[in-house]
Amino acid sequence: MNCNVAIVWMHDYIDGELPREDAVTLKQHLISCPACRARFDQLEKTEALLSSVMAEPKGQAISPATSAALTAKILKQIPSPARHRDWTGWIRRHPAVTAAAVFVLVMMASLAPTVNNGSELIVRGDDLKQVIIDGHTVIVPEGSQINGSLTVENGTADVRGQVQGSVTVIDGSLLTASTAQIAGQTRTIDQLLDRFWYKVTQTFGSKP
Amino acid sequence: MKSIEANLIRLALKGDQRAFAELVGMYQDKLYHLAYRMLYNRQEAEDAVQETFLRVFRNMERYDDSMKFSTWIYRITTNLSIDRLRRRKPGFSLDAELPEHDGLDGYSMFASEDTSPEEEVLLSETQHIIRNAIDTLPPKYKTVMVLRYLEDLSLQEIGDVMDMPVTTIKTRVHRGREFLRKKLEHKL
Ligand SMILES: [Zn+2]
Repeated sequence: MNCNVAIVWMHDYIDGELPREDAVTLKQHLISCPACRARFDQLEKTEALLSSVMAEPKGQAISPATSAALTAKILKQIPSPARHRDWTGWIRRHPAVTAAAVFVLVMMASLAPTVNNGSELIVRGDDLKQVIIDGHTVIVPEGSQINGSLTVENGTADVRGQVQGSVTVIDGSLLTASTAQIAGQTRTIDQLLDRFWYKVTQTFGSKP
Repeated sequence: MKSIEANLIRLALKGDQRAFAELVGMYQDKLYHLAYRMLYNRQEAEDAVQETFLRVFRNMERYDDSMKFSTWIYRITTNLSIDRLRRRKPGFSLDAELPEHDGLDGYSMFASEDTSPEEEVLLSETQHIIRNAIDTLPPKYKTVMVLRYLEDLSLQEIGDVMDMPVTTIKTRVHRGREFLRKKLEHKL
């Protein structure tokens, strides 16, 4: 066999891509050709060294402190959803806001396409005084009682207390703790059509 | 079934910052090692990782989950590292082809990055030789070799990351390995 072909096959062999019968031919050539044998030996050693050095983290490893600092730097540069923060801030500043006001505001938000970009957290309900909003999670705390229904859009509803009405989650998820008691129905809606239907009945029909 | 990463992206798109933080936790150190092997400079490696996640954040909507998330994110980090290598030595043609097996001696060498005294101590002589040898590889060969040995990716996976046919990757692995063999010849 030609030495140039043998060299290509040596690499294929190291890459684990040389068919068995070709490997036998290569082996025969290596036995009869000292130059190729020496080259193959060097290639195998190079391969072994590369694998060991690349796998060896000493001297290049990232220390836990550096790693944590890097994580902090990365997360700091990520823009936070500002509008959503304003909305929860507003809720926190006005804890005793009336159900009606919230309902009207939220309905406007959910019907105006420019405001509702599909990813903002929207909370609807008749009794939101005891609800805690943490990021995109709406929590009904353990021991609390919501006198009515609760709807969460684009977020997680984490129910740990009592809800006298129904709980509806649109494009989000519903978590219920062992302490949760939901008197009405629970629904999770993910389909565009479902949502459309839901909004229609909610707008023209009765209150949820 | 969707991958963990695809699910985290879905949550992050809805504004869940913890989901994004989870992704950072999963990949940050891996990407740092990858960038470090490419750049051999801690600060630059950190910057490349930081920039990677900013790009991921800005382009999450365009992430196509038919592609493995790791492939996507490795691609971003390797491209950013290659850009940095290019910027570093503007006078050189860093995309020069390595010649076929022989005649490698005529290949012009590139200066390697200086090491800090701290790293100097930690690196053994063999590691030094290999490290310097890897550092003299043109970026497109370096990327292939780093992905091959550091991340232990298959030739097909490297092809996916670099968006190139597997035959091209194979040729680069062969040439890269020959280049390193030549450089190490007298030490083996
Ligand atoms: Zn031969």
